[in-house]
Amino acid sequence: MCVRVRPLVVTALLLLLACGGVARGEDPGRPRPERHVLGNGVVLIVQEQRASEVVALQLWMRVGGRDEAPDELGLSHYLEHMLFKGTPTRPPGSIDRMVEGVGGQDNAFTSYDFTHFDLLLPAGQAAAGIALLADIAVNASFDQAELDRERLVVLDEVRLTEDDPDRFLARRLSEEAYRPTSYGRPILGTPEQIRALTREQLAGYYHKHYVPKNMSLVVVGAVDPGLIRRAADDAFGRLRGPDSPRAPMPPPPDLGGRSVDVPRPEKQAYLGLAFKAPAVADPDAAATDLFTYILGDSPSSRLSVVVRDRLALVSAVEAGYVTRQRGGLVTVTARLEPENLDRAEAAILAEIRRLQQDGVGEAERQRAIITAEANYAFDIETAEGLARDYGEAETNWTLAEELGYLTRLRQTTAAQIQAAARKYFGEYARVRFVPEAGAR
Amino acid sequence: MRRLLPGALAALVLAAPAAAGELPVVRERLDNGVTLLVRANPAAPVVAVSLLVRMGTRWETAADGGLSNFVQAVMVTGTAKRNGGEIAEAITGLGGRLSANGDTDYSEIRGTALARFWRELLGLTAELALEPAFQPDQVQAQRDFLLARVQKRRDNPPTHAFDVFFATLYGTHPYGLPTLGTPESLARIDQAAIVAWYRRFYRPERMVLAVSGQVPAAEVTAEARRLFGGLPRGGTGDDAPLAAPKPAGGRTVVEQASQQTQILVGSLAPRVADRDYAAVKLLGTVLGGGQAGRLFVELRDKQALAYTVAAFFDPLREPGSFLVYMNTAPGNAARAEEALRREIERIRAERVSAPELLRAKAYLLGTYEMDRRTNARQAWYLAFFATIGVGYDFPTGYRAAVEAVTVEDLLRVARSYLHPLTTVVLGPPPAR
Repeated sequence: MCVRVRPLVVTALLLLLACGGVARGEDPGRPRPERHVLGNGVVLIVQEQRASEVVALQLWMRVGGRDEAPDELGLSHYLEHMLFKGTPTRPPGSIDRMVEGVGGQDNAFTSYDFTHFDLLLPAGQAAAGIALLADIAVNASFDQAELDRERLVVLDEVRLTEDDPDRFLARRLSEEAYRPTSYGRPILGTPEQIRALTREQLAGYYHKHYVPKNMSLVVVGAVDPGLIRRAADDAFGRLRGPDSPRAPMPPPPDLGGRSVDVPRPEKQAYLGLAFKAPAVADPDAAATDLFTYILGDSPSSRLSVVVRDRLALVSAVEAGYVTRQRGGLVTVTARLEPENLDRAEAAILAEIRRLQQDGVGEAERQRAIITAEANYAFDIETAEGLARDYGEAETNWTLAEELGYLTRLRQTTAAQIQAAARKYFGEYARVRFVPEAGAR
Repeated sequence: MRRLLPGALAALVLAAPAAAGELPVVRERLDNGVTLLVRANPAAPVVAVSLLVRMGTRWETAADGGLSNFVQAVMVTGTAKRNGGEIAEAITGLGGRLSANGDTDYSEIRGTALARFWRELLGLTAELALEPAFQPDQVQAQRDFLLARVQKRRDNPPTHAFDVFFATLYGTHPYGLPTLGTPESLARIDQAAIVAWYRRFYRPERMVLAVSGQVPAAEVTAEARRLFGGLPRGGTGDDAPLAAPKPAGGRTVVEQASQQTQILVGSLAPRVADRDYAAVKLLGTVLGGGQAGRLFVELRDKQALAYTVAAFFDPLREPGSFLVYMNTAPGNAARAEEALRREIERIRAERVSAPELLRAKAYLLGTYEMDRRTNARQAWYLAFFATIGVGYDFPTGYRAAVEAVTVEDLLRVARSYLHPLTTVVLGPPPAR
């Protein structure tokens, strides 16, 4: 780990683009979480984990960018910013002081399919943390002055993303590949909409979507599951609200002919390709995960070995699997000298064709499975890592499938991997960042 | 995301407590001087290795800047037994990652794997460190990658601003050199220079190997002894103290096309081994630690001047740097800079309140606990503290030092260290 300050190396969780793994599996010996459905529909997932004296508490909401109407863009994300700001019994600033005063942390994340609010606290604070999450889930104040000030912070966040070519490429590529569906809209909203957003609009969206049936509470840490269940019953069991079924989504669009060049101030160019891929719960997801690892997850992956090391056409190249509930993407992104853009793209496509025509070797398949197994093993090093796996599974597919995922990966054959590569690698969307004339 | 943490913020909160129920560490100094540190941690079926060598920009000059990092970059591309592709395949087959880089006070090879492959991971780490091939064609290939990374750092407004800040703050002191080097220095470094630098620093007395994970500590220690024990002693080399950097202060403005303006304000600060280290850590936490810290509350929550506000104070062997950082809309930059300075002036003028200090202590120590839960961080912390000379068990004494800091201490260190101030502002040219 670098001690020297190295700012802005961030996980673009918001965009979920660099995410290689879908989820993982029910292995023999794998500890199992308890799952309860409270009377009002709130799901509680609890696992005792004594690795350290902390507890991860996460409220997962089944609402995100995809649920926004065209005149509501950015509301899911705005809520993410506003909820920790306060409720009638918790004035602005008091939540952060309470959490940090016990040595804890809070943060929140928005995606297209979900939004989640995370606390990491000393284990003894679990019940207080659960009460806090239940409070912000339905009682947020949306103080007008706080709301107005936060506008500027969100506008800063929009500009900040644009200054970071890796994050901005991920965002532009996903927007290009998914438009005009709601997965293709800007998740932070547009600057115009952020400026025009009203308290009534935000509160209306909140009351519509923040209902018990959209909530999952995930608790992992040095806790007694029985006590957690009682605390969750006390805090969440009394919440009431109507159902809020999600609007149906049209199928993902065809990707042919989608290509855009963006002039940028950087001297290096960036190339992004996006191919249609299975949705997160699709039976083909395991094979897609594996070919993504084989293609571009590590320095030993095919794209790195051929396009970066052998042909020296790029400085960096990787593949990722964007797992969304209603249709995924496999992306390939590269950083390179602008004069190599065409040749690098041709070389990447040639490697994809080789995968489709010749399939994968057994040693490669084994390495990919071990990579998936390791990703899971490193996730469970921390309570919040495991909680995130559970929360995403419960919200986006099912916990049971998550618990069986590694086993499914292991059973995936080389023939299935090749068949999936043939099925999904076809037309693609392309975004290139090209140095603008006179850029410094 | 509610807050976007700069990558090294973890290092900001570095350094704190030995928690109750701390897992034991096996420490052994081999006859040839290599330090071994092994922590058996049953939490998850994984293992992490960190091999730190006292070699870094601290020993470099502007002419050969980036040499340590260059050595590390070429090191992972081939050994006497394997080429780079074979190494990459081997580590992927262990479910792991392996990388190497240079830093300020040390250079690191770090690796992770599934725990059942700990022996293979250790073997691979030793092979890279002790039998590197340094092939001339790899030197050229890595030079190209490094030049591209230098360009990326320059293209990226925040990283460029930090590099300018350290260069300005430290002047001719080697801490002002960029770890990656410059296009000029990288062009000058050849294979012979790399081999010579490696031979000068890769001595057993300069190495610390730390392992953390679901592993049998005694077997790991025995295997590490077998792998590293045969290395002949080489002398500790020249680690004489450097002349202290001269505090100059001043304001530097850099124009660069970007959406946001970067503002950095800071000063020279204590060494990790200095008595004031804990108090200055707390000063950074009061100002920029977390979302209840002053900068977040005043500049983001109350004035909405920035998305990112943070304070940095990393542990270093030589005098450290204390800095507060924000990025903001260009139209707000002047107001933001003024507000930032006002916060620094305030903390130099008035005692912080007792509750504020309590929150800062809880946050500093708590965040450190949170940060040390992965084996990769555990291995790094163990090796790092041993390497920079304060001992792997530094956190135990450090916790007590943090607990003992008073509001008077904070006022005293604020007055003695937060002056003169160095400022860097990087952003788009004013609209015409």
